[in-house]
Amino acid sequence: MAAPPLREWTGIQQFPPATQTKLLDLLGKLKQENVSTMTILVMGKGGVGKSSTVNSILGERVAAVSAFQSEALRPIMCSRSRAGFTLNIIDTPGLVEGGYVNEYAMEIVKRFLLNRTIDVLLYVDRLDAYRVDNLDRQVIKAITDGFGKGIWRRGLVVLTHAQLSPPDGLSYEEFCSKRSEALLKVVRLGAKIKKKELQDSGIPVVLVENSGRCHTNDSGEKVLPNGTAWIPNLVMTITEVISNGSKPIVVDQKLIDGPNPNERGKFFIPLILAFQYFFVVKRIQRAIKEDIAREPKPLWELRDMGLANRYLSSPHWRGSSFRLLQR
Amino acid sequence: MASCGHSSLLNAVSASLPSCPISASLPSCPTSISLPSSRRRRVVASLSTPFSSSSSSFETPQTPSKTTTHTPPNTTSKTPLKTASKTLHTLSKTIFTSSVAAALVLQLSQGDGTGDGGLFPGGSGGNGGGGGGGGGGGGDGGFFNFFSRFFCSRAIAKDEESPEWDSHGLPANIVVQLNKLSPFKRYKVSEILFFDLRRRTTVGTEDSFFEMVSLRPGAIYTKSQLQKELESLANCGMFEKVDLEGKTKPDGTIGVTISFTESTWQSADAFRCINVGLMPQSKPIEMDPDMTDREKMEYFRSQEKDYRRRIDRARDCLIPTPVRREVLQMLREQGKVSARLLQRIRDRVQKWYHDEGYACAQVVNFGNLNTREVVCEVVEGDITQLVVQFQDKLGNVCEGNTQLPVVWRELPRQLQKGHVFNIEAGKQALRNINSLALFSNIEVNPRQDEKNEGGIIVEIKLKELEQKTAEVSTEWSIVPGRQGRPTLASIHPGGTVSFEHRNIKGLNRSILGNVTSSNLLNPQDDLSFKLEYVHPYLDGVTNLRNRTFRASCFNSRKLSPVFTGGPGVDEVPAIWIDRVGFKANITECFTRQSKFAYGLVMEEITTRDETSSICTSGSRALPSGGLSMDGPPTTLSGTGVDRMAFLQANITRDNTKFVNGTIIGERNVFQLDQGLGIGSNFPFFNRHQLTLTRFIQLKNVEEAAGKPPPPVLVLHGHYGGCVGDLPSYDAFTLGGPYSVRGYNMGELGACRNILELAAELRIPVRNTHIYAFAEHGNDLGSSKDVKGNPTEFFRRVGHGSSYGAGVKLGLVRAEYAVDHNAGTGAVFFRFGERF
Repeated sequence: MAAPPLREWTGIQQFPPATQTKLLDLLGKLKQENVSTMTILVMGKGGVGKSSTVNSILGERVAAVSAFQSEALRPIMCSRSRAGFTLNIIDTPGLVEGGYVNEYAMEIVKRFLLNRTIDVLLYVDRLDAYRVDNLDRQVIKAITDGFGKGIWRRGLVVLTHAQLSPPDGLSYEEFCSKRSEALLKVVRLGAKIKKKELQDSGIPVVLVENSGRCHTNDSGEKVLPNGTAWIPNLVMTITEVISNGSKPIVVDQKLIDGPNPNERGKFFIPLILAFQYFFVVKRIQRAIKEDIAREPKPLWELRDMGLANRYLSSPHWRGSSFRLLQR
Repeated sequence: MASCGHSSLLNAVSASLPSCPISASLPSCPTSISLPSSRRRRVVASLSTPFSSSSSSFETPQTPSKTTTHTPPNTTSKTPLKTASKTLHTLSKTIFTSSVAAALVLQLSQGDGTGDGGLFPGGSGGNGGGGGGGGGGGGDGGFFNFFSRFFCSRAIAKDEESPEWDSHGLPANIVVQLNKLSPFKRYKVSEILFFDLRRRTTVGTEDSFFEMVSLRPGAIYTKSQLQKELESLANCGMFEKVDLEGKTKPDGTIGVTISFTESTWQSADAFRCINVGLMPQSKPIEMDPDMTDREKMEYFRSQEKDYRRRIDRARDCLIPTPVRREVLQMLREQGKVSARLLQRIRDRVQKWYHDEGYACAQVVNFGNLNTREVVCEVVEGDITQLVVQFQDKLGNVCEGNTQLPVVWRELPRQLQKGHVFNIEAGKQALRNINSLALFSNIEVNPRQDEKNEGGIIVEIKLKELEQKTAEVSTEWSIVPGRQGRPTLASIHPGGTVSFEHRNIKGLNRSILGNVTSSNLLNPQDDLSFKLEYVHPYLDGVTNLRNRTFRASCFNSRKLSPVFTGGPGVDEVPAIWIDRVGFKANITECFTRQSKFAYGLVMEEITTRDETSSICTSGSRALPSGGLSMDGPPTTLSGTGVDRMAFLQANITRDNTKFVNGTIIGERNVFQLDQGLGIGSNFPFFNRHQLTLTRFIQLKNVEEAAGKPPPPVLVLHGHYGGCVGDLPSYDAFTLGGPYSVRGYNMGELGACRNILELAAELRIPVRNTHIYAFAEHGNDLGSSKDVKGNPTEFFRRVGHGSSYGAGVKLGLVRAEYAVDHNAGTGAVFFRFGERF
């Protein structure tokens, strides 16, 4: 898979000037921290708006988006550079297929990411979904299994379709916090992150509205119902995550294959074998020998050996006579 | 008609054999311990009594020289002692009364098959003194020859067939002396009474004496027959005095009254039992009738000394203390030693022998009568020779192909020369030889040693099986076709070609091979073969170590349970595991069941899909209807073909036994596959399994045929694990009738480490048993350690429990098992046992 040609980030010019300023500002900050490349991995269930988010961030239509079906069957990487700063965004196909996690898709993503470094993971879901279920957890688990638990230190949860009117009796803020809380809980469960770890570095939640009908503020920036301009907010959160001290995830062959269970413990096989021989086989052999020695011999055999004379008896005495002999 | 005690007993043995498990399992190869075919006439030299008793009813004793032409093997033609001169004050009497040895002679002889040895239970001795033999010492000290009685009496009874009889022609109810009867008439005896003169009572039929008389009510006898009967009764030594008279009946028949006085001796309070089996017979010194009293005294004394010496030299019998005590009790209760008592003692002693399987043991004599000690002389049946013979198809003795040490090593030591013959040892020899599977017919015969009195020659007769066999069988499979009509599955015949070359070099080595194909015309499609060479006695046929070398080429084709869907997963495309390889191992048998096998396996494993083409990974049906081919890899190499060599060891400790048909005991099996790093991807692994099974008897029961088996608790544990390379086809699978019942094969998962626990309670009901069980299987979280995680890929849980109950119906188990994961139950029918 050849790396796509590096292109100038022209899409940024489509943003309102306010947004442009903010973005360049943030990129400048990153450059100050010696970060000149940033790779963003976007993952999530199908149809939650991953590709749209990618398009929104870049300000151009890089990923085909269709309302009713998933177009992206394989990951797409878009690289844009601006003022010496390279931004890579990897859009992936939906991870769910037929009610189960699609390991195949996961496998493709992993292979695609081979020898790349992931700086940020965007886990995308919808804000306007009311429930979380086991499937969410499995998707999280699949991601964790694929890239390791560490990826969540570089992860943020993106909730799309943020421009909504919450159900009756709930304020927008309340709804958002409830939804993100529920989702974070699932992430925690699926990634098996302990509560304490989570508190150390909470996974940030960012709201996103990709629709063209998104409200704008005075300076033309797309804003959420709570008044935040979401694109700069998103990029800002991303830069915060990058600078939180955690390491980027390097995807190499080892990570893709996972720990090879076939290799584990191979070193100990000679020891195990020795143990089995001396403590299992020998022991059973000894037990067999004891069995042979202890085997009740019929009376006629004992009599023949001249042993039984003293104890001999009529048939119903048999049991007791053996006991005597054993002593 | 088996007239010799021996033979009748052995008859019983051979009759009982069909019920022994061997012959049952091998109906085509009847095994029997048969009886000695040659019946020898054995006549016992009788002893003369120099002082015949006053009793007129005894025949005059005959001289010892009047013995037989045949050498009597079991004879007691010696002079058992006279006890006499123990104390001075009894001396005079003793000489007179106890005159000679009080010896009870059990005669083994028989006439020409006329006697019926079955009269005494246990067939102690078909005794027949023949007309010539019996001398009866009378009075108090007579020697005693009562068994000879049978023979004679039976001989008479023989000719009683004539349907017609004559009326006595006399007035009714007169007592007629025997000699007053007409010699020309045939009398019908309608009633026989025994009258004990001493007790002055009539003896019932249950009395032991009654069986000594051959006369039967309703039969017809002539005067001479009755006389003979009386004669033989008098000769038998049981009676001091015996008489026979007739009583006329109104219907023309006669009633016979036998009046007698039983012989008795001085009371005794000690009992001794000696084995006189192989002792040289002491030649009685001729007694000169002209001897003076002093000489006679001398003579008796020397005889007594001889007898003493003889007793001292004799080996003690096997008779155990409790039986001795029982006999002593009998002696003590009785007071005087009577003929009846001796008879009872003999019966008791012989019964013990025969109950314990000493089929050739017989009480031959009671010596030392009229002293404080009764000496029971027994021929126990010492083996003097062991002969192994081969027979051809016609039963003629021939030279066998089998080398003798092969047979010898199967024989229990107890059949060797110098041991006492026991029927159980014979049966064991039979079983052991039978397990060689080399012979179509096996006989173990004990027979009298003609050259060595009292000895037994054990003859083992073997008919060898054909060495080479070859066989072709074909079959067409019939399957339900259209509208349920039976149709041929294919036009091509399937079948098996097999050959076997057994007993190579007479050392039980064999080569066997077979080829099976479901399409003989085009066999490459589906061909399974096996070629095996078996080489027993690796350490030499005379070495007791029992190691067998086996080498085989094989192939097999099995459906892999690793690629099976979990509950609710649609059909998973099947993966077939084909193995072709070579295996060589050495098996050492410690006991019949416990063994240790170790060897090398080299094999090529090919994984194929349903279309028989090689496949490299498992697949799963997608909801879209397509197949996702990204499943777990089927092989280690990833090419669908693996080659590997590994060591395999298996040690089994099994001390289970059957108690009334149910299995009790414990069984431990440890199996180990150790990869050598030879093969595709250099597989290096250690795959081990330990299986522990306990069959715990919950109640003590009496062990006997036909008795109900005890309730049994079965506990079972199985641990398996693998370190190192683990291809999917070697992964442990959970679920199935031999893993966790209630699930399908592999329905619970495929894993690297496995733990299965099971408990089953079996309660006998009538002829079968019902059982309840609970089982659990767990992957110990090791499913993810199998490459490709087939457990998860096919959406299986990785662990599961089940419980249920069932009943055993012959070979089939019908059980209801509840799958604990789903909570639903189902009825299953399974063949064979779970444990």
